[in-house]
Amino acid sequence: MLLIRHSSQANNAVRTTSVGGELFVASVVICMILASFGDAVDPAMFGEAGLEFALFDFGGELSVLAMRHWHLLQLLLAGAVLGAGLVVLRVGAASLIKPLRPADRRAAEKVPIRL
Amino acid sequence: MESEFLSAGFLSALFAIVLIDLVLAGDNALIIGLVARNLPKTTQRKVIFWGTFGAIAVRAVMAILVVYILDLPGFMLAGGLALVWIARKLLTPEEPGSESHLVKGPATSFAGAIRTIVIADAVMGIDNVLAIGGAATGSILLIVLGLAISVPIIVWGSQLVIRLVDRFPSVVLLGGAVLAWTGYSMVVREPLLASWFAGHPATKLVAVILIFSISLAPWYTARMSEETRPLVAILPGVLVWLLGFEIAGSVWTLQMDYLRTTDTGEYMLEAVRWLGWLPLVGAYLWLRERLMLRRDQPVRG
Repeated sequence: MLLIRHSSQANNAVRTTSVGGELFVASVVICMILASFGDAVDPAMFGEAGLEFALFDFGGELSVLAMRHWHLLQLLLAGAVLGAGLVVLRVGAASLIKPLRPADRRAAEKVPIRL
Repeated sequence: MESEFLSAGFLSALFAIVLIDLVLAGDNALIIGLVARNLPKTTQRKVIFWGTFGAIAVRAVMAILVVYILDLPGFMLAGGLALVWIARKLLTPEEPGSESHLVKGPATSFAGAIRTIVIADAVMGIDNVLAIGGAATGSILLIVLGLAISVPIIVWGSQLVIRLVDRFPSVVLLGGAVLAWTGYSMVVREPLLASWFAGHPATKLVAVILIFSISLAPWYTARMSEETRPLVAILPGVLVWLLGFEIAGSVWTLQMDYLRTTDTGEYMLEAVRWLGWLPLVGAYLWLRERLMLRRDQPVRG
């Protein structure tokens, strides 16, 4: 029996894991898949298609093709950055969309006054 | 492939080993306690000492063996596939407090107790040692460090592990993802497949998505609604279908590059390859629905 099975939280981890924790792991997995994609594509093929700038030189080392050489710690760091970026994007999008939502019909006549 | 000491590669492998040690640590203390509970007090102390010593010795022997075994052709692939299964097992929820099936009951003699403890540790430690062997990428130093980290967990670290996963349950999911990643890197490092992967680089991408979709499936199945749950079977199925055509193309030397197809037969083969899975998915969904309806019928009646 595994030690972690003694923890009710870990045993039921699928329900007790925080949204942030799950987003972080999902981002790490995405980075791992991207690293594998960098390993799988033939750079010459993208060069012929004129797409080398899309994949190669996005600030030197920070490209999908360079990710093939990344180690686990780099992938974890990239996952954390990606996760944080997604959270910022979500918060930003929510703050943009919220004022665009129509007011409740019952509250349409009332003007919110704050003193 | 030896990583330079304290380089990014070395530290990454060490981090993977620590994480694997944490999530795959077996409850040796429970096994020793169960085995020794009916023995006299003086024998109990001896059993605890020699049982712990035996567990550590077994772990060390297995760690040395795994380094040599993984060098043999075919074992890297088998180990990688085994890690996928281990990751699945890790992410599948289990009933809390379930009794260990490794121990049938308390031992009646000193020799019997030690034998049970050593066998139980060998069975519990296989996954741990295999994963460490895969993550260490052939570095003896990393294997020794992995062992040096797992031994204190065996002896004293149980409460620490439980407290850690209680506080951060996502460690379990991260452990599963790292196991899947280690499994993938073992599969692509397999010497028998190295030349094939070099000739078919795109299959690496299919392989990594396939491995993640199989390994993390138990986790996401619990999160999905009944309607979207078939995706857990369909995604790996479609990837296996595509991978199967790539393998068949190598075995029977068929033209599998759609840019180089010339005659009607090759075009037909391409059509089957890219669209042939659609009727199979349709049939699977239909069959699944029929089975679910049949299962629900007696309840309604």
